[in-house]
Amino acid sequence: MELTVETAIGMSRKWDAREAGREVAETAIQNLTRPPDFFLLFATIHYEKYGGFQEFLNGVWDVLPKKTPLVGGTVTGFMNNYGCFSRGASALAVSYPSMDVAIGVGKNTKRNPNRAAKQCADMIQNGLKESAYKNKFLLNFISGPVMPSIPGVGQKKYIRSGFVSNFALQALGLSQALVQKGLGREDEIFEETAQQLPDYQMILGTSMDDYKGMRNYQFYNDKILTNAVVNLGVATDLSLNVYTTHGMKETDLHFTITKLGAGNHAICKINDKPAVPELLRLLEWPEGFLTEETMIHTILYYPISLKRHGREVPVVMPMIMKNYIIIPCVIDDGEVSILTVSGKGLINAVKENLHYFDGMQPEFGLFSACMTILQTLGHKTNIIQEELHHYFKDKSFLLFYGAGEGTYSPSKNITYANMSFNTAIFGNSKK
Amino acid sequence: MRDDPIANVLDDLMRLDDILACMVARRNMISVMPASEGFKPEVNQIWDNIHRAMDDVFGVIAAYSQIGLGEMEFRLQDYEVLFYIFPDTENALVAIVPALANKGLLEVELENSRREILKIMANPKQESDSQKKDDEDYVTA
Repeated sequence: MELTVETAIGMSRKWDAREAGREVAETAIQNLTRPPDFFLLFATIHYEKYGGFQEFLNGVWDVLPKKTPLVGGTVTGFMNNYGCFSRGASALAVSYPSMDVAIGVGKNTKRNPNRAAKQCADMIQNGLKESAYKNKFLLNFISGPVMPSIPGVGQKKYIRSGFVSNFALQALGLSQALVQKGLGREDEIFEETAQQLPDYQMILGTSMDDYKGMRNYQFYNDKILTNAVVNLGVATDLSLNVYTTHGMKETDLHFTITKLGAGNHAICKINDKPAVPELLRLLEWPEGFLTEETMIHTILYYPISLKRHGREVPVVMPMIMKNYIIIPCVIDDGEVSILTVSGKGLINAVKENLHYFDGMQPEFGLFSACMTILQTLGHKTNIIQEELHHYFKDKSFLLFYGAGEGTYSPSKNITYANMSFNTAIFGNSKK
Repeated sequence: MRDDPIANVLDDLMRLDDILACMVARRNMISVMPASEGFKPEVNQIWDNIHRAMDDVFGVIAAYSQIGLGEMEFRLQDYEVLFYIFPDTENALVAIVPALANKGLLEVELENSRREILKIMANPKQESDSQKKDDEDYVTA
């Protein structure tokens, strides 16, 4: 008898951490006839207040067969076959005999991203070195940004004071090295991981809280971690592919970055002028227009297309410090375009993404997407869920929202972007 | 009130930090309030003004829900009031949130609650997820 792929989505909306852990594992494994070969687990940050994540994981392990490889972490929200949620927990459990699985972990991602990436990639390399299967996949799941608290200011997206901004820009690197608060550095980890494991198809996702950027946790078997990268490596005979799309459109507004700072994470000057006033001039926004409140409603809809090693990197501007624009990834200077994005564009990006997989008979799918999409679309993310449901029908899919995502494949290289949909679909090629 | 499955759905919403108050209401009438979670205290200071403004909004809802009005919202001082209207009725799920809340995330859960309440209204004998949860807790306790 041919052994088929068995997949199941686990789901819990319970508030109590232990109960939710049990339920998310129970609802997944009760739909499998064999023990799962891996268990991907995502939860919103709420369980921190309702028992804590160790209790949540304890609940999962009350039910999950011992030694099942488990990775995951906190996310801003998720969608699956049952709907869209910004509270709760969900899991993807997969059982398939023609599949080898390894998991890895690397620590201190904000202090030393390259070392963490290597540590984690080595574990995958060693775990799958005996595998005879040619098709290789990696989920690279990384602790996302944690906003440092600036004395006298707190955790803000917009800093008006020039003095505080200058201080904060200098302190950013120090904060990352000493207390591991700051940018997630997921782009650097992803680059290093792709270099270490070049023949894998990869999807990048980040661990976050409820959009606030205060804290996040990663799961590795029965351990709760912070500032860690966790990998799921799979080698299989199933066909698989990864793809990134975003709905961003180029405008006719361009500028040149003439000075970078903070380890190439900050745009200090554009067109040889202080970056923020020049950006406001280009966008025809009045001086003083940007505030903590208007940031949410305006600037997120004007991402910019930056460059990194010749690749296009479309990102949002998550933080403004007086004259400096903070960028979530390492970038190169040079020509930049201002992009624009709409709700319709985001929905079309999902359709375009799924269209890429037309030649595939899906068995299951995993998606990472930008939390700003969830924040932007609100409950209209249900439109995306309906698209995915239509594509997958009774097959399992799980999408999680974080802050920094992308894909890598040997043929398409790295795509790192904000406001993007990143897809990994496993299945069989249509005859 | 304690056995009302709709009140249990509202209880779930009240546990979210940024939901300061929520209810199922229509003009001049609050039909269902959360069962065990009261409104958060900071709403009290502005409740009279919000309540008056809500009644005016319900006038608009009554006039337009039959032709597809699905949502409304208004901002009063530092608060936003969101109305998720039950189709073809004058009733809405109403939530009061801080003006600077991450509204997109809240909207996802408000919509889930609206759908759950609609299911309960369509089949009043069916238990809501929240009610089932309470029963399960009771059985295992």
